[in-house]
Amino acid sequence: MSALATDQINVILATDCGSTTTKAILIEKVEGHYRQTYRGEAPTTVEEPAADVTVGVSNAVAEIAELSGRQLLDEQGHIIRPARGNTGCDIYISTSSAGGGLQMLVAGVVREMTAASAKRAALGAGAIVMDTLASNDKRKPYEQIQRIRELRPDMILLSGGTDGGTQKHVVQLAELIAPAKPQPRFGERYRMPVIFAGNKEAWPLVREAFDEGVELSQTENVRPTLDSENLSPARDKIHDLFLEHVMAHAPGYDKLISWTNAPIMPTPGAVGNILRTIAEREGINAVGVDIGGATTDVFSVFDGVFNRTVSANLGMSYSISNVCAEATMENILRWVHIDMDERDLRNRVKNKMIRPTTIPQTLEALIFEQAVAREALRLAYLQHKEFATTLKGIQQQRTVGDLFLQDTGGRSIVDNMKLNLLVASGGVLSHAPRMEQTAAMLIDAFEPEGFTTLAKDSIFMMPHLGVLAQVHPRAALEVFERDCLIYLGTCIASAGLQKPGKEAFRYRITGDLHADGTMHAGEIRLFPLKREQQAMVRIEPVRRLDCGAGKGRPIEQQVRGGTVGLILDARGRPLCVGGSGGAKRDQVSAWVKALRLYDME
Amino acid sequence: MDSVSDGNWRMKRSVRYILALAVVVWGQMNAAPLLAEEAVSPVTVTVVDRPWDNGDSLVATIQLSAEHFQELHQENTASRIILTIAEENNGLYVPLAEYPPNDGNWEIDDAARTLRRIVSGLHPRHDYYFRVRWRDPAGDERIVAATSQAVSTKRQWFLGDKWVLAVVGFLICGAVICFIELAKLGRPMKVRKIAGLEAVDEAVGRATEMGRSVLFVPGIQDMNDIQTIAGLNILSHVARTAAEFDAKVEVPTSRALVMTAARETLQGSFLAAGRPDAYNPDLSYYVTDEQFGYVAYVSGMMVREKPAACFYLGSFFAESLILAETGNSIGAIQVAGTAQPSQLPFFVAACDYTLIGEELFAASAYLSGSPEELGSLKGQDVGKIIVAVGIVAGCVWETWLLWPA
Repeated sequence: MSALATDQINVILATDCGSTTTKAILIEKVEGHYRQTYRGEAPTTVEEPAADVTVGVSNAVAEIAELSGRQLLDEQGHIIRPARGNTGCDIYISTSSAGGGLQMLVAGVVREMTAASAKRAALGAGAIVMDTLASNDKRKPYEQIQRIRELRPDMILLSGGTDGGTQKHVVQLAELIAPAKPQPRFGERYRMPVIFAGNKEAWPLVREAFDEGVELSQTENVRPTLDSENLSPARDKIHDLFLEHVMAHAPGYDKLISWTNAPIMPTPGAVGNILRTIAEREGINAVGVDIGGATTDVFSVFDGVFNRTVSANLGMSYSISNVCAEATMENILRWVHIDMDERDLRNRVKNKMIRPTTIPQTLEALIFEQAVAREALRLAYLQHKEFATTLKGIQQQRTVGDLFLQDTGGRSIVDNMKLNLLVASGGVLSHAPRMEQTAAMLIDAFEPEGFTTLAKDSIFMMPHLGVLAQVHPRAALEVFERDCLIYLGTCIASAGLQKPGKEAFRYRITGDLHADGTMHAGEIRLFPLKREQQAMVRIEPVRRLDCGAGKGRPIEQQVRGGTVGLILDARGRPLCVGGSGGAKRDQVSAWVKALRLYDME
Repeated sequence: MDSVSDGNWRMKRSVRYILALAVVVWGQMNAAPLLAEEAVSPVTVTVVDRPWDNGDSLVATIQLSAEHFQELHQENTASRIILTIAEENNGLYVPLAEYPPNDGNWEIDDAARTLRRIVSGLHPRHDYYFRVRWRDPAGDERIVAATSQAVSTKRQWFLGDKWVLAVVGFLICGAVICFIELAKLGRPMKVRKIAGLEAVDEAVGRATEMGRSVLFVPGIQDMNDIQTIAGLNILSHVARTAAEFDAKVEVPTSRALVMTAARETLQGSFLAAGRPDAYNPDLSYYVTDEQFGYVAYVSGMMVREKPAACFYLGSFFAESLILAETGNSIGAIQVAGTAQPSQLPFFVAACDYTLIGEELFAASAYLSGSPEELGSLKGQDVGKIIVAVGIVAGCVWETWLLWPA
């Protein structure tokens, strides 16, 4: 670990070892501020013939060294530390999702209570949750044992019972897992790590249930009482075991661990970490999305509560067929404003699945791919909303006035009206030919309400910054603000529905941009407002619509510009496109034209 | 030949039946004007059975001469027409009503010069005789018309003045049948979410996680109370959930019969959940019939054993607040439901979820999802809408009538 004080750190090297590519970035102090200066990438070398992740890391770092003229590797291929003049770096940090990342099995007594908390802990730590076992999951014990044997997780998280609560159910779960003898993915001599984060009084009984075949450890209960969650100890334990066991058995990771100045984090865990840090520091609610080829990760921070979901079958290449099946072709085509042959599109989908690295070659292909992306993002966000809920099983306090408003527990905490920042990353969003297309995909899929700033991760730097935030928060935040995010602009949308063509809201824009007028239901309009520009926007919605201050109440806020600008969206929420009552193709064409998404000439 | 004669015989028999039926119907239709007795001219009185009634009234119509009619309608006239009734011909005639003044029950037809009045409160199938007397300004009375033949009332199948109820009844019953048939055809019946029932899983889950029991109180009334039955319907759902979660559910009862019914319910639920082995008859037990003895036991048990979820679903009286407050103090999730309006505020204030009035009965339809119950629920809703619309329309109409010109 580095012995340097944070103010002495001037050069930072960070890598993210993905499944296919290892991405390295160099962060340097320029005129008193940390800036990301160079970037390099190389194929990941976890698989044969190299079977050593550090080879790929060295290649990516060598590319940066070549670009920057700074010598980062010594003759043995080791990273030079600390930095002296134009040689070496002060700290080196890394994240990893190579080999499928961290795959976990979680178990809890009640699916919606302790099992849900355990799942939140695992997802928050950056894991992919393969399955959730619970006493009420409607499966017979033999089916549960069979499932455990089929899966090959890296780690198991066992929770259940409040402190002083049930022991019987927890021991029953332990007695299901122990005889199933789950087999790990890596290493012959690998002992499956099992973390117990349940009723502490059940610990002696759980210990008795397992033999020497597993690496059993205990941490604090994820649900000490039903009224509160305590996920941090379990997440820390997962990180520790990830390094000690999972990483140590992956090819070359023992060497990589010895190189780094901070523990290696799973990539999604690091992304969540930086988003949480930003949301806490700015006091905002934020949502981040990373759409990949096979999976889509959604991160959210609402009122300080962090949630992450992985939609395992929603992606743009390996999982594109599943997106089409789940969303239906009809729903995908509602976003397409030109004639397309459905048979041709189905062939296109299958081709994308078997050739995942191909990119659209024609405008039609691009329009279709972005339509699929809209549906994949929409479905992933729906799953996220269902998962990110208030705790269940809490005693409610009511008055007689609540007679007709008896809310149940487990309400979604995701509130689009409260959302301040929406960050996009992933190929289809980051590499869209026009920023307007990225903004349109985000707005159509996430349906932000009120005032929402849109941004995208420029070069998928968030994982690096997530792990950096643990070592040097100031550097991470400065780079995040200056180099990581590309601000697309601000979207102002009215919530509620109004008859098409009727007045939705009046607007008055002052500051770096001057405009005023009326938006009618079904309209969307783009105003040029550059990144360095700001404007004061006053919105006066009609009685049925809400732009953030309540139905029919005017609201005035400062907004920031971006590469796209300021978007006023009067299409209403929920967004109705296609179908019998939704917007028709000519209306979608009007939106495409208003946002200048595609050059059709 | 045999078959031909047999056919003729059958046809003749059918014709006889039809003729007999026609005679009965004709008789029914013509039953109303039982008697039309002309009396001394120029005043006549006609008394007939009142149609579409329950057999306790007749309609008397007095036809006046032009002179009599004019005299009666003069200002400050002292002349009177008096309708009298007797139970035998030339017997003791008792005055029924006189005109003027109009007590509100006389219907006057100026063009036809008739006075019409419904005479009610009579005995069915009893003979009555009527006379009309004329009192001149001097106070002398004389008989001006009379019925010579007896008139009796006749009871009809339907009350004509209740036709509105018939229409409403047909509408509601029709709606119920219609919705049941629609539900049977597979048309989805949307039932508003009942928060208290949605919370059953949550409450039982809490008990499971905390390693505590679930307490179910089915009210303090016996099985003849519909609320107790509704409560036991919900118990089946709660017990099934508890069986699935492997949680303990306890049902103390204040009636022996309720205990037996609760045991049956529990057994069925454990069986349905696929856990018949977990059923224990002692989960439901009888405490006492005494209201406060029962409450004292249940409250004491709650304080000692601290169940994590308490359900109070049935008929409750003064014990509602004691139970709900005790449950609140031990930190249990509480779901209550009763059709006793006076107890609802206590439950709302002290419990997490409350099934208000009819929600208790709607719950079983909500839980079972059976077409019959869902259809009935929907049909009843139509009835409520009709009543609500009727009330509003009636208020508007009455207000309109009262409005000054």
